[in-house]
Amino acid sequence: MGQVELEERLFGLIGYMVTSGRNLLDETPLYGPFRLVDAASRLILLLEDEEIISSRLSTIRERIDAGKYSVMTSPGEFRTFLDSLVDALVDHMNPGKGKEVIRGKRIGKNKTNTGVNLGGE
Amino acid sequence: MELWEAIKGRRSVRSFLEKPVERALLERLLEAAIWAPSGGNAQTWQFVVVTEPERIRSIKTVSPGLLGDPAAVIAVCQDLAAARERGGTLGETFLAPVDAAMATENLLLAAYAEGLGTCVVASFHRGAVGRLLALPRRVEPMLLISVGWPAEDPSAPSRSGEGRVFFEVYNGPG
Repeated sequence: MGQVELEERLFGLIGYMVTSGRNLLDETPLYGPFRLVDAASRLILLLEDEEIISSRLSTIRERIDAGKYSVMTSPGEFRTFLDSLVDALVDHMNPGKGKEVIRGKRIGKNKTNTGVNLGGE
Repeated sequence: MELWEAIKGRRSVRSFLEKPVERALLERLLEAAIWAPSGGNAQTWQFVVVTEPERIRSIKTVSPGLLGDPAAVIAVCQDLAAARERGGTLGETFLAPVDAAMATENLLLAAYAEGLGTCVVASFHRGAVGRLLALPRRVEPMLLISVGWPAEDPSAPSRSGEGRVFFEVYNGPG
């Protein structure tokens, strides 16, 4: 991705967050957590498209995208989804679990190439 | 398509194929919209159809509820000054948004019958969208509708009339 395209996509993400900040004054409070985790997913996707990929971040994004729309159907399910997401974050804090950062192109929405390992922590 | 099939089959679609929707088809959707009922026959609705990717991207930037990459975005607007002239305060504050909603539902069903996916969006910044669409001050964007060829087939959330539908009187014996 070139610098101009990257800037445009970042601008879109910033616009999403800023406008959400304004609109949430008047919207259902449940949309607050939805917008936060959705912004996290968008950020991870942007990093992936910039070929900065880690398995734990990809896993978090996939979990967010799989569960975020429960906000529309069941507040209880949405709460459970958020709890499980935080649990997954803690799981991924364990040493050596999915921290490696891979440079590679994303294929489709959920798959990545293996590429050059830039070194894990 | 049979009417009940459209009513029960339509879903909110938030993932779209990268495929344009031809103008004639969009015009058919708008024809369905303007055949909706209108309080006092005011018909003060106005529609702005956006298909330029750059403009859609700009609208998305100030519309957190607009998800996915639709081929078109339709802004369902109301000329509130005209609504006030024709319907007084009731026209401006009640009939205008109700008319916009009724026109929107017509459009959604027509789109579904054509195989298109749609999603109604209320989460957007009205002032910013108004500027991006060059709306005059008296014209208010009420809703946005994303339109495109669906890349998903969402399941239906449950629906029930229990506790919501009554005959004769509220909470009557039925």
